[in-house]
Amino acid sequence: MRRRRLALLGAVAALAAAIAGAALATRSSSPPRLTVFAAASLTDVLPRIDARERYSFGGSNALAAQVQQGLPADVFASANVTLPDQLYAAGLVDKPVLFTANALVLITRKGNPSRLHGVYGLDRPGLKIVMGAAGVPVGDYTRRVLARLGLSDLVARSASQETDVREVLGKIVLGEADAGFVYATDARAVKGEVAVFAIPPNAQPKVNYAAAAVNGGPNEAAAEAWVKRLQGRAAQKKLRAAGFLRTGR
Amino acid sequence: MRRTLAGALVFAATAVALAFLLFPIVAIFARVPPGRLVAQLSNPVVADALVVSLKTSAIAQALVLALGTPAAFVLATRRFPGRPLVVTLTELPLVLPPAVAGIGLIAAFGRFGLLGGTLSTLGIRLGLTQAAVVLAVAFVSSPLYLRQAIATFETVDPDVVAAARTLGAGPARTFFRVVLPLARGGLAAGAALSFARGLGEFGATIMFAGSLQGVTQTLPLAIYTEFAVDFDVTLAMSALLVVVSAALLVALKVTLQWQPSRPTSRFLFATSS
Repeated sequence: MRRRRLALLGAVAALAAAIAGAALATRSSSPPRLTVFAAASLTDVLPRIDARERYSFGGSNALAAQVQQGLPADVFASANVTLPDQLYAAGLVDKPVLFTANALVLITRKGNPSRLHGVYGLDRPGLKIVMGAAGVPVGDYTRRVLARLGLSDLVARSASQETDVREVLGKIVLGEADAGFVYATDARAVKGEVAVFAIPPNAQPKVNYAAAAVNGGPNEAAAEAWVKRLQGRAAQKKLRAAGFLRTGR
Repeated sequence: MRRTLAGALVFAATAVALAFLLFPIVAIFARVPPGRLVAQLSNPVVADALVVSLKTSAIAQALVLALGTPAAFVLATRRFPGRPLVVTLTELPLVLPPAVAGIGLIAAFGRFGLLGGTLSTLGIRLGLTQAAVVLAVAFVSSPLYLRQAIATFETVDPDVVAAARTLGAGPARTFFRVVLPLARGGLAAGAALSFARGLGEFGATIMFAGSLQGVTQTLPLAIYTEFAVDFDVTLAMSALLVVVSAALLVALKVTLQWQPSRPTSRFLFATSS
Protein backbone atom coordinates (compact mmCIF):
# COMPACT_ATOMS: atom_id res chain seq x y z
CA MET A 1 0.00 0.00 0.00
CA ARG A 2 2.67 2.42 1.18
CA ARG A 3 4.93 1.47 -1.74
CA ARG A 4 2.13 1.98 -4.25
CA ARG A 5 1.44 5.38 -2.85
CA LEU A 6 5.13 6.26 -3.08
CA ALA A 7 5.24 5.11 -6.70
CA LEU A 8 2.24 7.25 -7.53
CA LEU A 9 3.85 10.21 -5.79
CA GLY A 10 7.00 9.63 -7.80
CA ALA A 11 5.00 9.54 -11.03
CA VAL A 12 3.25 12.81 -10.19
CA ALA A 13 6.57 14.45 -9.33
CA ALA A 14 8.15 13.21 -12.58
CA LEU A 15 5.20 14.58 -14.57
CA ALA A 16 5.48 17.96 -12.87
CA ALA A 17 9.23 18.04 -13.54
CA ALA A 18 8.67 17.18 -17.19
CA ILE A 19 6.13 19.96 -17.62
CA ALA A 20 8.40 22.47 -15.89
CA GLY A 21 11.34 21.29 -18.02
CA ALA A 22 9.36 21.70 -21.22
CA ALA A 23 8.28 25.17 -20.17
CA LEU A 24 11.87 26.16 -19.48
CA ALA A 25 13.15 24.68 -22.73
CA THR A 26 10.84 26.89 -24.79
CA ARG A 27 12.17 29.96 -23.03
CA SER A 28 15.91 29.54 -23.11
CA SER A 29 17.28 29.13 -26.68
CA SER A 30 18.01 32.25 -28.71
CA PRO A 31 17.40 33.10 -31.51
CA PRO A 32 13.98 31.43 -31.49
CA ARG A 33 13.18 28.37 -33.54
CA LEU A 34 10.24 29.28 -35.74
CA THR A 35 7.20 27.13 -36.34
CA VAL A 36 6.45 27.24 -40.05
CA PHE A 37 3.12 26.01 -41.41
CA ALA A 38 3.78 25.31 -45.08
CA ALA A 39 2.06 23.85 -48.11
CA ALA A 40 2.73 20.14 -48.64
CA SER A 41 4.43 20.89 -51.95
CA LEU A 42 7.16 22.73 -50.01
CA THR A 43 7.96 19.59 -47.96
CA ASP A 44 11.30 18.91 -49.61
CA VAL A 45 12.54 22.39 -50.39
CA LEU A 46 11.97 24.38 -47.19
CA PRO A 47 14.19 22.23 -44.96
CA ARG A 48 16.86 22.58 -47.66
CA ILE A 49 16.58 26.34 -47.43
CA ASP A 50 16.56 26.37 -43.64
CA ALA A 51 16.90 23.13 -41.70
CA ARG A 52 16.66 24.80 -38.31
CA GLU A 53 12.97 25.65 -38.08
CA ARG A 54 10.09 23.42 -37.07
CA TYR A 55 7.86 22.63 -40.05
CA SER A 56 4.32 21.44 -40.26
CA PHE A 57 3.41 20.52 -43.82
CA GLY A 58 -0.10 19.90 -45.03
CA GLY A 59 -2.89 21.17 -47.23
CA SER A 60 -2.64 24.97 -47.20
CA ASN A 61 -6.33 25.29 -46.36
CA ALA A 62 -6.03 22.96 -43.36
CA LEU A 63 -3.03 24.96 -42.15
CA ALA A 64 -4.94 28.23 -42.63
CA ALA A 65 -7.77 26.76 -40.57
CA GLN A 66 -5.27 25.86 -37.86
CA VAL A 67 -3.96 29.44 -37.84
CA GLN A 68 -7.57 30.62 -37.59
CA GLN A 69 -8.13 28.32 -34.62
CA GLY A 70 -5.11 29.85 -32.95
CA LEU A 71 -2.49 27.12 -33.29
CA PRO A 72 0.89 28.68 -32.56
CA ALA A 73 2.44 29.16 -36.00
CA ASP A 74 5.04 31.85 -36.68
CA VAL A 75 4.90 31.67 -40.47
CA PHE A 76 2.24 30.53 -42.92
CA ALA A 77 3.42 29.61 -46.42
CA SER A 78 0.61 28.73 -48.81
CA ALA A 79 0.42 27.22 -52.29
CA ASN A 80 -1.88 30.04 -53.28
CA VAL A 81 -2.40 33.71 -52.56
CA THR A 82 -6.08 33.54 -51.62
CA LEU A 83 -5.63 31.86 -48.24
CA PRO A 84 -2.91 34.19 -46.87
CA ASP A 85 -4.91 37.14 -48.21
CA GLN A 86 -7.97 35.93 -46.30
CA LEU A 87 -5.95 35.58 -43.09
CA TYR A 88 -4.48 39.04 -43.72
CA ALA A 89 -7.97 40.49 -44.15
CA ALA A 90 -8.94 38.87 -40.86
CA GLY A 91 -5.97 40.53 -39.19
CA LEU A 92 -4.29 37.23 -38.36
CA VAL A 93 -1.14 37.58 -40.46
CA ASP A 94 1.10 40.30 -41.89
CA LYS A 95 0.80 41.37 -45.50
CA PRO A 96 1.52 38.23 -47.58
CA VAL A 97 4.62 38.14 -49.75
CA LEU A 98 4.84 36.29 -53.07
CA PHE A 99 7.97 34.19 -53.04
CA THR A 100 7.74 31.50 -55.69
CA ALA A 101 5.55 29.82 -58.29
CA ASN A 102 4.83 26.39 -59.67
CA ALA A 103 3.08 24.65 -62.54
CA LEU A 104 0.40 22.01 -62.51
CA VAL A 105 1.13 18.73 -64.33
CA LEU A 106 -0.70 15.51 -64.99
CA ILE A 107 1.04 12.37 -63.74
CA THR A 108 0.55 8.67 -64.13
CA ARG A 109 2.56 5.75 -62.83
CA LYS A 110 5.99 5.12 -64.35
CA GLY A 111 5.86 3.31 -67.66
CA ASN A 112 2.42 4.84 -68.24
CA PRO A 113 0.48 1.57 -67.81
CA SER A 114 -2.83 3.30 -68.59
CA ARG A 115 -1.42 4.49 -71.94
CA LEU A 116 -2.35 8.10 -71.44
CA HIS A 117 -1.29 10.64 -74.03
CA GLY A 118 -2.06 13.70 -71.96
CA VAL A 119 -5.04 15.47 -70.50
CA TYR A 120 -7.34 14.68 -73.40
CA GLY A 121 -7.52 10.96 -72.71
CA LEU A 122 -8.73 11.47 -69.17
CA ASP A 123 -12.43 10.97 -69.82
CA ARG A 124 -11.88 7.34 -70.78
CA PRO A 125 -14.24 5.17 -68.69
CA GLY A 126 -12.68 3.13 -65.90
CA LEU A 127 -9.74 5.44 -65.40
CA LYS A 128 -9.16 6.19 -61.72
CA ILE A 129 -8.32 9.84 -61.27
CA VAL A 130 -7.36 11.44 -57.96
CA MET A 131 -7.27 15.13 -57.22
CA GLY A 132 -7.10 17.56 -54.37
CA ALA A 133 -10.41 18.36 -52.67
CA ALA A 134 -12.15 21.67 -53.28
CA GLY A 135 -10.55 24.33 -51.12
CA VAL A 136 -7.15 22.62 -51.15
CA PRO A 137 -5.03 24.78 -53.50
CA VAL A 138 -4.05 21.90 -55.78
CA GLY A 139 -7.71 20.86 -55.91
CA ASP A 140 -8.83 24.33 -56.92
CA TYR A 141 -6.12 24.58 -59.60
CA THR A 142 -7.15 21.15 -60.90
CA ARG A 143 -10.77 22.27 -61.16
CA ARG A 144 -9.68 25.37 -63.04
CA VAL A 145 -7.66 23.30 -65.53
CA LEU A 146 -10.47 20.83 -66.08
CA ALA A 147 -12.97 23.66 -66.57
CA ARG A 148 -10.74 25.26 -69.20
CA LEU A 149 -10.39 21.92 -70.96
CA GLY A 150 -14.13 21.27 -70.85
CA LEU A 151 -13.54 18.24 -68.62
CA SER A 152 -15.29 19.46 -65.48
CA ASP A 153 -17.40 16.32 -65.15
CA LEU A 154 -14.21 14.45 -64.23
CA VAL A 155 -14.44 16.08 -60.80
CA ALA A 156 -17.57 14.13 -59.96
CA ARG A 157 -16.06 10.96 -61.43
CA SER A 158 -12.80 11.15 -59.46
CA ALA A 159 -11.81 8.19 -57.30
CA SER A 160 -10.62 10.22 -54.34
CA GLN A 161 -10.44 13.82 -53.16
CA GLU A 162 -7.25 14.29 -51.20
CA THR A 163 -6.42 16.83 -48.54
CA ASP A 164 -3.01 17.80 -49.89
CA VAL A 165 -0.91 17.35 -53.01
CA ARG A 166 1.41 14.75 -51.47
CA GLU A 167 -1.58 12.49 -50.85
CA VAL A 168 -2.41 12.70 -54.55
CA LEU A 169 1.20 11.89 -55.37
CA GLY A 170 1.19 8.89 -53.02
CA LYS A 171 -1.92 7.38 -54.58
CA ILE A 172 -0.28 7.49 -58.03
CA VAL A 173 3.13 6.22 -56.91
CA LEU A 174 1.48 3.28 -55.11
CA GLY A 175 -0.61 2.57 -58.19
CA GLU A 176 -3.96 2.84 -56.41
CA ALA A 177 -5.01 5.52 -58.89
CA ASP A 178 -4.19 5.86 -62.58
CA ALA A 179 -3.76 9.59 -62.98
CA GLY A 180 -3.71 12.76 -60.93
CA PHE A 181 -2.84 16.42 -60.94
CA VAL A 182 0.14 17.58 -58.89
CA TYR A 183 2.70 20.36 -59.08
CA ALA A 184 5.70 19.96 -61.35
CA THR A 185 7.98 20.03 -58.30
CA ASP A 186 6.14 17.09 -56.69
CA ALA A 187 6.50 15.01 -59.84
CA ARG A 188 10.19 15.90 -59.80
CA ALA A 189 10.54 14.81 -56.17
CA VAL A 190 9.59 11.25 -57.18
CA LYS A 191 11.43 11.28 -60.50
CA GLY A 192 11.39 7.87 -62.12
CA GLU A 193 8.28 6.80 -60.20
CA VAL A 194 5.84 8.71 -62.37
CA ALA A 195 5.36 9.73 -65.99
CA VAL A 196 4.65 13.45 -66.40
CA PHE A 197 2.40 15.20 -68.92
CA ALA A 198 2.39 18.95 -69.34
CA ILE A 199 -0.88 20.81 -69.31
CA PRO A 200 -1.67 22.88 -72.42
CA PRO A 201 -0.44 26.45 -71.78
CA ASN A 202 -3.89 27.95 -72.32
CA ALA A 203 -5.28 25.77 -69.52
CA GLN A 204 -2.35 26.19 -67.12
CA PRO A 205 -3.40 28.08 -63.97
CA LYS A 206 -1.25 30.65 -62.24
CA VAL A 207 0.24 28.86 -59.22
CA ASN A 208 1.82 31.47 -56.94
CA TYR A 209 3.05 30.86 -53.40
CA ALA A 210 2.62 33.49 -50.72
CA ALA A 211 4.00 33.52 -47.19
CA ALA A 212 3.17 35.71 -44.23
CA ALA A 213 4.30 36.13 -40.63
CA VAL A 214 1.56 35.29 -38.16
CA ASN A 215 0.52 38.17 -35.93
CA GLY A 216 0.68 38.17 -32.17
CA GLY A 217 3.24 35.41 -31.66
CA PRO A 218 6.32 35.78 -29.46
CA ASN A 219 8.64 35.45 -32.51
CA GLU A 220 6.91 37.91 -34.78
CA ALA A 221 9.99 39.95 -35.70
CA ALA A 222 12.02 36.83 -36.47
CA ALA A 223 9.10 35.49 -38.51
CA GLU A 224 8.94 38.67 -40.60
CA ALA A 225 12.66 38.46 -41.29
CA TRP A 226 12.29 34.80 -42.23
CA VAL A 227 9.54 35.55 -44.73
CA LYS A 228 11.67 38.31 -46.26
CA ARG A 229 14.58 35.89 -46.58
CA LEU A 230 12.41 33.62 -48.77
CA GLN A 231 12.71 36.29 -51.46
CA GLY A 232 16.47 36.50 -51.00
CA ARG A 233 18.96 35.08 -53.43
CA ALA A 234 19.98 32.00 -51.40
CA ALA A 235 16.41 30.84 -50.91
CA GLN A 236 15.46 31.58 -54.50
CA LYS A 237 18.41 29.53 -55.76
CA LYS A 238 17.28 26.50 -53.73
CA LEU A 239 13.69 26.96 -54.92
CA ARG A 240 14.80 27.15 -58.55
CA ALA A 241 16.98 24.06 -58.09
CA ALA A 242 13.90 22.16 -56.87
CA GLY A 243 11.98 23.19 -59.97
CA PHE A 244 9.99 26.09 -58.57
CA LEU A 245 9.43 29.05 -60.87
CA ARG A 246 9.77 32.81 -60.74
CA THR A 247 6.61 34.48 -59.43
CA GLY A 248 4.20 36.25 -61.71
CA ARG A 249 5.22 34.61 -64.99
CA MET B 1 1.47 15.24 7.83
CA ARG B 2 3.11 13.23 5.08
CA ARG B 3 -0.02 11.22 4.75
CA THR B 4 -2.19 14.26 4.13
CA LEU B 5 0.26 15.68 1.61
CA ALA B 6 0.34 12.41 -0.30
CA GLY B 7 -3.43 12.26 -0.12
CA ALA B 8 -3.76 15.76 -1.51
CA LEU B 9 -1.33 14.98 -4.36
CA VAL B 10 -3.20 11.82 -5.26
CA PHE B 11 -6.47 13.73 -5.21
CA ALA B 12 -4.98 16.47 -7.39
CA ALA B 13 -3.64 13.90 -9.88
CA THR B 14 -7.07 12.29 -10.07
CA ALA B 15 -8.76 15.63 -10.63
CA VAL B 16 -6.27 16.59 -13.35
CA ALA B 17 -6.64 13.22 -15.10
CA LEU B 18 -10.45 13.38 -15.09
CA ALA B 19 -10.57 17.01 -16.19
CA PHE B 20 -8.04 16.34 -18.95
CA LEU B 21 -10.12 13.46 -20.30
CA LEU B 22 -13.46 15.22 -20.15
CA PHE B 23 -12.55 18.78 -21.08
CA PRO B 24 -12.01 18.27 -24.85
CA ILE B 25 -15.27 16.36 -25.11
CA VAL B 26 -17.19 19.05 -23.26
CA ALA B 27 -15.50 21.67 -25.45
CA ILE B 28 -16.93 20.07 -28.61
CA PHE B 29 -20.44 20.73 -27.32
CA ALA B 30 -19.65 24.06 -25.71
CA ARG B 31 -18.30 25.85 -28.79
CA VAL B 32 -21.47 25.79 -30.83
CA PRO B 33 -25.06 25.94 -29.51
CA PRO B 34 -26.87 22.59 -29.79
CA GLY B 35 -29.46 23.98 -32.19
CA ARG B 36 -26.82 24.90 -34.71
CA LEU B 37 -25.03 21.59 -34.19
CA VAL B 38 -28.19 19.73 -35.12
CA ALA B 39 -28.81 22.03 -38.09
CA GLN B 40 -25.31 21.24 -39.43
CA LEU B 41 -26.21 17.57 -39.54
CA SER B 42 -28.38 18.21 -42.60
CA ASN B 43 -25.25 19.37 -44.46
CA PRO B 44 -24.85 16.94 -47.42
CA VAL B 45 -21.22 16.23 -46.48
CA VAL B 46 -22.34 15.10 -43.03
CA ALA B 47 -25.29 13.10 -44.31
CA ASP B 48 -23.15 11.34 -46.94
CA ALA B 49 -20.39 10.61 -44.45
CA LEU B 50 -22.89 9.20 -41.95
CA VAL B 51 -24.35 6.86 -44.57
CA VAL B 52 -20.88 5.71 -45.71
CA SER B 53 -19.77 5.20 -42.11
CA LEU B 54 -22.84 3.22 -41.09
CA LYS B 55 -22.87 1.13 -44.26
CA THR B 56 -19.18 0.21 -44.21
CA SER B 57 -19.17 -0.38 -40.45
CA ALA B 58 -22.25 -2.61 -40.68
CA ILE B 59 -20.78 -4.71 -43.50
CA ALA B 60 -17.42 -4.95 -41.75
CA GLN B 61 -19.17 -5.90 -38.52
CA ALA B 62 -21.20 -8.62 -40.27
CA LEU B 63 -17.97 -10.06 -41.69
CA VAL B 64 -16.24 -9.86 -38.33
CA LEU B 65 -19.13 -11.66 -36.61
CA ALA B 66 -19.52 -14.30 -39.31
CA LEU B 67 -15.82 -15.17 -39.54
CA GLY B 68 -14.67 -14.11 -36.10
CA THR B 69 -17.16 -16.11 -34.04
CA PRO B 70 -16.13 -19.55 -35.33
CA ALA B 71 -12.46 -18.52 -35.25
CA ALA B 72 -12.77 -17.36 -31.65
CA PHE B 73 -14.58 -20.57 -30.70
CA VAL B 74 -11.84 -22.73 -32.20
CA LEU B 75 -9.10 -20.67 -30.56
CA ALA B 76 -10.91 -20.79 -27.22
CA THR B 77 -11.68 -24.50 -27.12
CA ARG B 78 -8.87 -26.21 -29.00
CA ARG B 79 -5.44 -26.62 -27.50
CA PHE B 80 -2.66 -26.89 -30.05
CA PRO B 81 1.03 -26.08 -30.18
CA GLY B 82 1.64 -22.42 -30.85
CA ARG B 83 -1.83 -21.38 -29.76
CA PRO B 84 -0.63 -18.48 -27.57
CA LEU B 85 1.33 -17.21 -30.56
CA VAL B 86 -1.71 -17.38 -32.84
CA VAL B 87 -3.88 -15.59 -30.27
CA THR B 88 -1.22 -12.90 -29.85
CA LEU B 89 -0.97 -12.44 -33.61
CA THR B 90 -4.71 -11.88 -33.90
CA GLU B 91 -4.35 -9.12 -31.33
CA LEU B 92 -1.52 -7.42 -33.19
CA PRO B 93 -3.69 -5.13 -35.37
CA LEU B 94 -5.12 -3.78 -32.11
CA VAL B 95 -1.85 -2.20 -31.07
CA LEU B 96 -0.62 -1.44 -34.57
CA PRO B 97 -0.54 2.23 -35.60
CA PRO B 98 -3.40 2.81 -38.09
CA ALA B 99 -0.94 4.13 -40.68
CA VAL B 100 0.90 0.81 -40.50
CA ALA B 101 -2.40 -0.98 -41.02
CA GLY B 102 -2.95 1.17 -44.11
CA ILE B 103 0.47 0.36 -45.52
CA GLY B 104 -0.09 -3.32 -44.76
CA LEU B 105 -3.41 -3.35 -46.60
CA ILE B 106 -1.85 -1.60 -49.61
CA ALA B 107 1.10 -3.99 -49.57
CA ALA B 108 -1.30 -6.96 -49.45
CA PHE B 109 -4.36 -5.95 -51.48
CA GLY B 110 -3.15 -2.87 -53.34
CA ARG B 111 -2.78 -2.90 -57.09
CA PHE B 112 0.90 -3.78 -56.83
CA GLY B 113 0.50 -5.64 -53.56
CA LEU B 114 1.06 -9.35 -52.94
CA LEU B 115 -2.49 -10.25 -53.94
CA GLY B 116 -2.87 -7.32 -56.32
CA GLY B 117 -1.97 -9.35 -59.41
CA THR B 118 -4.41 -12.14 -58.54
CA LEU B 119 -7.16 -9.67 -57.79
CA SER B 120 -6.65 -7.70 -61.00
CA THR B 121 -6.84 -10.85 -63.15
CA LEU B 122 -10.23 -11.34 -61.50
CA GLY B 123 -11.05 -7.77 -62.47
CA ILE B 124 -11.00 -6.51 -58.89
CA ARG B 125 -9.30 -3.30 -57.86
CA LEU B 126 -9.83 -2.66 -54.19
CA GLY B 127 -7.90 0.55 -53.72
CA LEU B 128 -10.02 3.71 -53.42
CA THR B 129 -13.30 1.77 -53.30
CA GLN B 130 -15.92 1.29 -50.62
CA ALA B 131 -14.76 -2.32 -50.32
CA ALA B 132 -11.38 -0.93 -49.27
CA VAL B 133 -13.08 0.98 -46.46
CA VAL B 134 -14.76 -2.24 -45.31
CA LEU B 135 -11.41 -4.07 -45.34
CA ALA B 136 -9.70 -1.29 -43.39
CA VAL B 137 -12.49 -1.16 -40.81
CA ALA B 138 -12.62 -4.96 -40.46
CA PHE B 139 -8.85 -5.18 -40.15
CA VAL B 140 -8.56 -2.73 -37.27
CA SER B 141 -11.79 -3.63 -35.47
CA SER B 142 -11.89 -7.44 -35.62
CA PRO B 143 -9.16 -8.04 -33.01
CA LEU B 144 -11.34 -6.36 -30.39
CA TYR B 145 -14.17 -8.76 -31.14
CA LEU B 146 -11.90 -11.80 -31.38
CA ARG B 147 -10.25 -11.03 -28.07
CA GLN B 148 -13.50 -10.62 -26.23
CA ALA B 149 -15.10 -13.62 -27.96
CA ILE B 150 -12.17 -15.91 -27.13
CA ALA B 151 -12.31 -14.83 -23.48
CA THR B 152 -16.07 -15.38 -23.42
CA PHE B 153 -15.97 -18.83 -25.03
CA GLU B 154 -13.27 -19.82 -22.54
CA THR B 155 -15.67 -19.16 -19.67
CA VAL B 156 -18.31 -21.52 -21.09
CA ASP B 157 -18.29 -24.56 -18.81
CA PRO B 158 -17.09 -27.60 -20.83
CA ASP B 159 -19.26 -29.82 -18.63
CA VAL B 160 -22.38 -28.05 -19.89
CA VAL B 161 -21.24 -28.66 -23.46
CA ALA B 162 -20.49 -32.29 -22.66
CA ALA B 163 -23.91 -32.64 -21.04
CA ALA B 164 -25.61 -31.29 -24.12
CA ARG B 165 -23.68 -33.78 -26.27
CA THR B 166 -24.54 -36.76 -24.03
CA LEU B 167 -28.16 -35.71 -24.14
CA GLY B 168 -28.02 -36.22 -27.87
CA ALA B 169 -27.43 -32.75 -29.31
CA GLY B 170 -25.03 -32.64 -32.27
CA PRO B 171 -22.06 -30.28 -32.34
CA ALA B 172 -23.93 -27.65 -34.36
CA ARG B 173 -27.03 -27.84 -32.17
CA THR B 174 -24.88 -27.70 -29.04
CA PHE B 175 -23.08 -24.63 -30.38
CA PHE B 176 -26.21 -22.75 -31.35
CA ARG B 177 -28.48 -23.81 -28.47
CA VAL B 178 -26.02 -24.00 -25.58
CA VAL B 179 -22.67 -22.30 -26.24
CA LEU B 180 -23.94 -19.26 -28.12
CA PRO B 181 -26.68 -18.35 -25.63
CA LEU B 182 -24.18 -18.70 -22.78
CA ALA B 183 -21.68 -16.48 -24.57
CA ARG B 184 -24.27 -13.99 -25.78
CA GLY B 185 -23.43 -11.14 -23.41
CA GLY B 186 -19.69 -11.34 -23.95
CA LEU B 187 -20.04 -11.57 -27.71
CA ALA B 188 -22.35 -8.56 -27.77
CA ALA B 189 -19.83 -6.63 -25.71
CA GLY B 190 -17.06 -7.57 -28.14
CA ALA B 191 -19.24 -6.58 -31.08
CA ALA B 192 -20.01 -3.19 -29.53
CA LEU B 193 -16.31 -2.54 -28.89
CA SER B 194 -15.23 -3.50 -32.38
CA PHE B 195 -18.09 -1.54 -33.95
CA ALA B 196 -17.04 1.56 -32.04
CA ARG B 197 -13.44 1.09 -33.08
CA GLY B 198 -14.45 0.55 -36.69
CA LEU B 199 -16.59 3.68 -36.71
CA GLY B 200 -13.57 5.71 -35.67
CA GLU B 201 -11.17 4.17 -38.20
CA PHE B 202 -9.14 6.84 -39.95
CA GLY B 203 -5.53 6.11 -40.84
CA ALA B 204 -5.87 2.87 -42.74
CA THR B 205 -8.96 4.15 -44.55
CA ILE B 206 -7.46 7.40 -45.80
CA MET B 207 -4.39 5.55 -47.07
CA PHE B 208 -6.02 2.56 -48.69
CA ALA B 209 -9.51 3.79 -49.57
CA GLY B 210 -8.91 7.49 -50.16
CA SER B 211 -11.57 10.07 -49.42
CA LEU B 212 -14.51 10.65 -51.72
CA GLN B 213 -17.78 12.10 -50.52
CA GLY B 214 -20.58 9.54 -50.62
CA VAL B 215 -18.25 6.65 -51.48
CA THR B 216 -15.25 6.31 -49.19
CA GLN B 217 -15.49 9.40 -47.03
CA THR B 218 -16.45 8.16 -43.58
CA LEU B 219 -17.24 10.52 -40.69
CA PRO B 220 -13.67 10.69 -39.38
CA LEU B 221 -12.38 11.42 -42.89
CA ALA B 222 -15.05 14.06 -43.41
CA ILE B 223 -14.05 15.67 -40.12
CA TYR B 224 -10.45 15.78 -41.32
CA THR B 225 -11.37 17.26 -44.71
CA GLU B 226 -14.01 19.69 -43.45
CA PHE B 227 -11.72 21.04 -40.75
CA ALA B 228 -10.12 23.19 -43.42
CA VAL B 229 -13.48 24.29 -44.81
CA ASP B 230 -16.01 24.80 -42.05
CA PHE B 231 -15.15 24.35 -38.40
CA ASP B 232 -18.81 24.29 -37.29
CA VAL B 233 -19.50 21.29 -39.50
CA THR B 234 -16.51 19.44 -38.05
CA LEU B 235 -17.80 20.21 -34.57
CA ALA B 236 -21.24 18.87 -35.48
CA MET B 237 -19.76 15.64 -36.88
CA SER B 238 -17.50 15.28 -33.86
CA ALA B 239 -20.45 15.76 -31.53
CA LEU B 240 -22.38 13.14 -33.48
CA LEU B 241 -19.52 10.64 -33.11
CA VAL B 242 -19.22 11.42 -29.40
CA VAL B 243 -22.93 10.68 -28.94
CA VAL B 244 -22.78 7.45 -30.97
CA SER B 245 -19.63 6.29 -29.19
CA ALA B 246 -21.09 7.10 -25.80
CA ALA B 247 -24.25 5.17 -26.68
CA LEU B 248 -22.15 2.17 -27.73
CA LEU B 249 -20.17 2.38 -24.49
CA VAL B 250 -23.34 2.46 -22.40
CA ALA B 251 -24.78 -0.45 -24.39
CA LEU B 252 -21.53 -2.31 -23.76
CA LYS B 253 -21.68 -1.72 -20.02
CA VAL B 254 -25.30 -2.81 -19.88
CA THR B 255 -24.69 -6.02 -21.85
CA LEU B 256 -21.75 -6.86 -19.62
CA GLN B 257 -24.00 -6.38 -16.57
CA TRP B 258 -26.46 -8.86 -18.02
CA GLN B 259 -23.78 -11.40 -18.62
CA PRO B 260 -24.03 -14.21 -16.07
CA SER B 261 -21.25 -13.53 -13.62
CA ARG B 262 -21.69 -16.44 -11.23
CA PRO B 263 -21.26 -20.01 -12.42
CA THR B 264 -24.59 -20.98 -10.83
CA SER B 265 -26.52 -18.67 -13.12
CA ARG B 266 -25.21 -20.29 -16.28
CA PHE B 267 -27.74 -23.09 -16.31
CA LEU B 268 -30.59 -20.68 -15.91
CA PHE B 269 -29.27 -18.71 -18.84
CA ALA B 270 -28.91 -21.76 -21.07
CA THR B 271 -32.27 -23.34 -20.39
CA SER B 272 -34.19 -20.12 -20.69
CA SER B 273 -33.18 -19.55 -24.29
